[in-house]
Amino acid sequence: MRTARYLAVALALLLVVSAATPLVSAQEPVRLRFVSLAWQEDAIAAVKALVAEWNRTHPNIQVEYQQVDWGSIHDYLVTSFQTGDVPDVFHYESPQVLDFGRMGYLTDLAPLISDDLRNDVLPNFWETVSIDGAIYGVPYIVEPFIVLYNKDLFEQEGIEVDPSEPMTWDELRAIAKRLTKDLDGDGRIDQYGAGLPLRSPANRILNLSMAFDGQFFYQENGRWVLRVGENELALPKLLHDMMYVDGSMATEGVGLSSSELMAGFLQGRYAMIPGVGAFTRHDLAALASDSFRWGVLPHPKATSARQGAVSQTLSIPAASKHPREAMAFIEFMMTTENMARLAYNDWLLPTRQSSLELPVFTTEEYGWDVVSASAASLSMANWQVVPGYEEVRSKVLNPLLQEYFYDRIDEATLVQRIEREGNRILERYR
Amino acid sequence: MHGKARTGPSLWLLIPAVLPILLLSVIPLLQGMSLGFTDYRLGPREPQFTGLDNYQYMLTDYKFWSSFKTGAIWAVAVTAGEIILGLGLALLLNAGLPLQGLARVLILIPWAMPPVVKGLVWRMVYHPTVGLLNRTLIQLGLLETPINWLGDYTWTLPAAIVVGIWAGLPLASVMLLAALQTIPQELKEAAALDGANGWGQFWHVVLPLLVPVIVALSTIELIWNFNSFGLIYVLTEGGPGDTTRLPMLYAYEEGFRYGNLGYAAALGNVMVLAMLVLIYFYVRRSSREVA
Amino acid sequence: MARPLLSRARPVWTRRLVRTGLFLVLMLYVVFMAFPLFWLVLTSFKTQGEVVMATSFWPQGLHWANYRDALFTQGIFQSVKNSLKVSLVAALATLAVAAPAAYVTARRGGLVEKLFRGWILATQTFPHILIIVPLFIILAGLSLTNTHTGLSLVYVVANLPFVLWMLFGYVRSVPVELEEAAAVDGASGTQILIHILIPLMIPGLVATGMYAFITAWNEFFFALVLLKEPELLTIQVNLARFRGVEGFVRWGPLAAGSVLATLPALAVFAFVQRGLIAGLMAGSLKQ
Repeated sequence: MRTARYLAVALALLLVVSAATPLVSAQEPVRLRFVSLAWQEDAIAAVKALVAEWNRTHPNIQVEYQQVDWGSIHDYLVTSFQTGDVPDVFHYESPQVLDFGRMGYLTDLAPLISDDLRNDVLPNFWETVSIDGAIYGVPYIVEPFIVLYNKDLFEQEGIEVDPSEPMTWDELRAIAKRLTKDLDGDGRIDQYGAGLPLRSPANRILNLSMAFDGQFFYQENGRWVLRVGENELALPKLLHDMMYVDGSMATEGVGLSSSELMAGFLQGRYAMIPGVGAFTRHDLAALASDSFRWGVLPHPKATSARQGAVSQTLSIPAASKHPREAMAFIEFMMTTENMARLAYNDWLLPTRQSSLELPVFTTEEYGWDVVSASAASLSMANWQVVPGYEEVRSKVLNPLLQEYFYDRIDEATLVQRIEREGNRILERYR
Repeated sequence: MHGKARTGPSLWLLIPAVLPILLLSVIPLLQGMSLGFTDYRLGPREPQFTGLDNYQYMLTDYKFWSSFKTGAIWAVAVTAGEIILGLGLALLLNAGLPLQGLARVLILIPWAMPPVVKGLVWRMVYHPTVGLLNRTLIQLGLLETPINWLGDYTWTLPAAIVVGIWAGLPLASVMLLAALQTIPQELKEAAALDGANGWGQFWHVVLPLLVPVIVALSTIELIWNFNSFGLIYVLTEGGPGDTTRLPMLYAYEEGFRYGNLGYAAALGNVMVLAMLVLIYFYVRRSSREVA
Repeated sequence: MARPLLSRARPVWTRRLVRTGLFLVLMLYVVFMAFPLFWLVLTSFKTQGEVVMATSFWPQGLHWANYRDALFTQGIFQSVKNSLKVSLVAALATLAVAAPAAYVTARRGGLVEKLFRGWILATQTFPHILIIVPLFIILAGLSLTNTHTGLSLVYVVANLPFVLWMLFGYVRSVPVELEEAAAVDGASGTQILIHILIPLMIPGLVATGMYAFITAWNEFFFALVLLKEPELLTIQVNLARFRGVEGFVRWGPLAAGSVLATLPALAVFAFVQRGLIAGLMAGSLKQ
């Protein structure tokens, strides 16, 4: 027995040494291709600086930085996986990463992640990248939903708000009503209480519906089915009524994305914008004049303050030839300071507890404190793990919600069609 | 072809073209098309031959067929716009007006602009509150309340069609201008001597000579427009609702967004088939022209 | 409507009036076609705030930082150079292989032509993204991925359908008798092609070459997937990087980069404009 154990240990040592040998003795350093999606000036600079630092300190593992844009990354990766010409580390987001993981295209990082990282990243974020114990990416930045508000308009109306505590959706609706005005008396509203980007509404609605306990996807006999009950309908109906009953939410949001609402917010057309991500602060900070006073509020609650979270991730394809080196690089990017740097420059939150505690994330400036306080209410929405969700989203949820928000179909039709068409698609993925 | 007895030039001259075509086009194309008879999905599983299953599923896939309707409206409207406006533009560019040389280059701008930026620029133009179009229309007093051009059910498709025409006009007008210039001046002069006035000349002399070009151009443009999706994707992502979801966008989403590559290939095959009627007409027409 | 209206019988003042009207219509066209570029030029001097707020149509100052950003931080110059290289090579190579093929096919007709036409039409209809994987694997087998040569080759094959389609017509517009006479004098097929056909087809070759150039210049997807080395980056892939999520765009540098990317293409257009018009003229009626 003893001999056998010795032998095993010796063999293991030999394996480790031989595995490590090329690292140490080879003339050629290992080359890793790192695909990053950072696109804002500051965010790119942060990523580039970290890569340069790594390359300086790790002559044997050289990382080549490649920037791909958000609009093409999916096609880029799908093609890479099929052809086997993969990057060694790539940046993307949790729902797609889970999908790719399920398809077998990604390395399970669970055995590779250091305890330090595993214990420090908040568990609700690990959840966004894990299936059956496998971990397909390191979640490193997250974007809570916030409410942007125009301080002057609120003060003029004598509305006081407390950024430390989320208001309820009903309160938000009441405030929006008070702030809706026809300023020049021409019979048309020119100041709306709220604007909300609804260009591709599905993900936003589903993530925000968690505050109403709206789940949309339920498991029945081990199968996912789509159900639209009262909880699911609560938020869409509320927004619909704000647009068409109260008239307190501008309808042009139906065709606009977050960025396209910013001009209206800055011009005072919308007194507040709920349902936008923390990143939008970046644009406001750059765009707003000094005289424009804006603030950040936590996103409203309903039965709870929960909101669905998507995390941005770093992953390693299964076809990468250097998963260990790639993981070493990821660990480097994910140290407390480095993760904080990446998140801060992207105007988003880091996922490490230790990073979140850094002073930059708790200052009142640009509402960082409000954003950081939301970290606890982020959790994974179940749509992220439903096979076929992507098809349901773009074929059923987006078009039908748009139709509803444009007031072309009633609630009953919305519910009936989402369930019928959605479940038909889900069947395809069983 | 009238069975030309001559052997013609040596087939060896085909090699430089045929070799890359076979290797980099025909083989990938056949492989791609054959996927349409499998259940290939993104993932580790090897694709299985499933015969006509994809096509059977397609029969019930009403969203695909409704995208055909959108595609047909889009393709016909854009093509008609390109040809009619392109003809007008070509005539103007051929009229010896001042700044003609400069105008001939400037009208090529939509062709030369990076595709990435085309859709983005037009989204800014159509922006409901700060967009150039609404502002101008309101200032001119033509519009009272702003229109949500790319979010409104009535306006989105027409608004997108305008962009489609804008993008396709350079090629169409250049082709038509070239055709106009081939019409011998003597023909028109002869017609003028016969007493034909301006319109008479245009209808009886110029237009008939342009017909072959117009037919050839409009047919290939119809095919291209029916199969386009990049521009409209940036503009509308297919929305609102499904009002601007073109068939090629549908096939792209099936393959690359949902990972149903086999089914996407089947959609591609059906689109090839659907175009065949048109194409048959085109081939017959152009071979007749040639003969 | 233009020319016929200018018939000689009318008095001078009517003609002047008509011409002024026509000129105004032409200018309307030019404004419609060119204003997006004009808007981009203005935007390229604006700050992000000026663009998003659309406070003023004209820039409030010359914000050269956008150009600095596009050129130096994002390396637009290098990618314009790469694109010029790839597109010019692709355009020239397309013509070099297409001319003989069009010559043989148009003169022989029959099965060869039918096969070509069938292939052409299939390529124009089947979704391109579905052939990228088999194509990539073949290119990888030839060690041509991640090279400009490979990308140019892909563009040649992608351009050939339309170019051949047009060249068939151009070849047929050249009278066969010329070739027959040369053949009687003992000229070979290649000699006839080089000495008789190509000189006569130059306008047509210019026109199709233009098409081949601009198609390659504007192509995005193959360039994205085939080139991974940062130094090989083409202009379209580079420009896309100014787009962010949820409609956020770095407008200033994107506009500056787009202006810098449009100018070379326009310059090429202006340079061969005469050739283009004349070239299309030669073949179009025969199609």
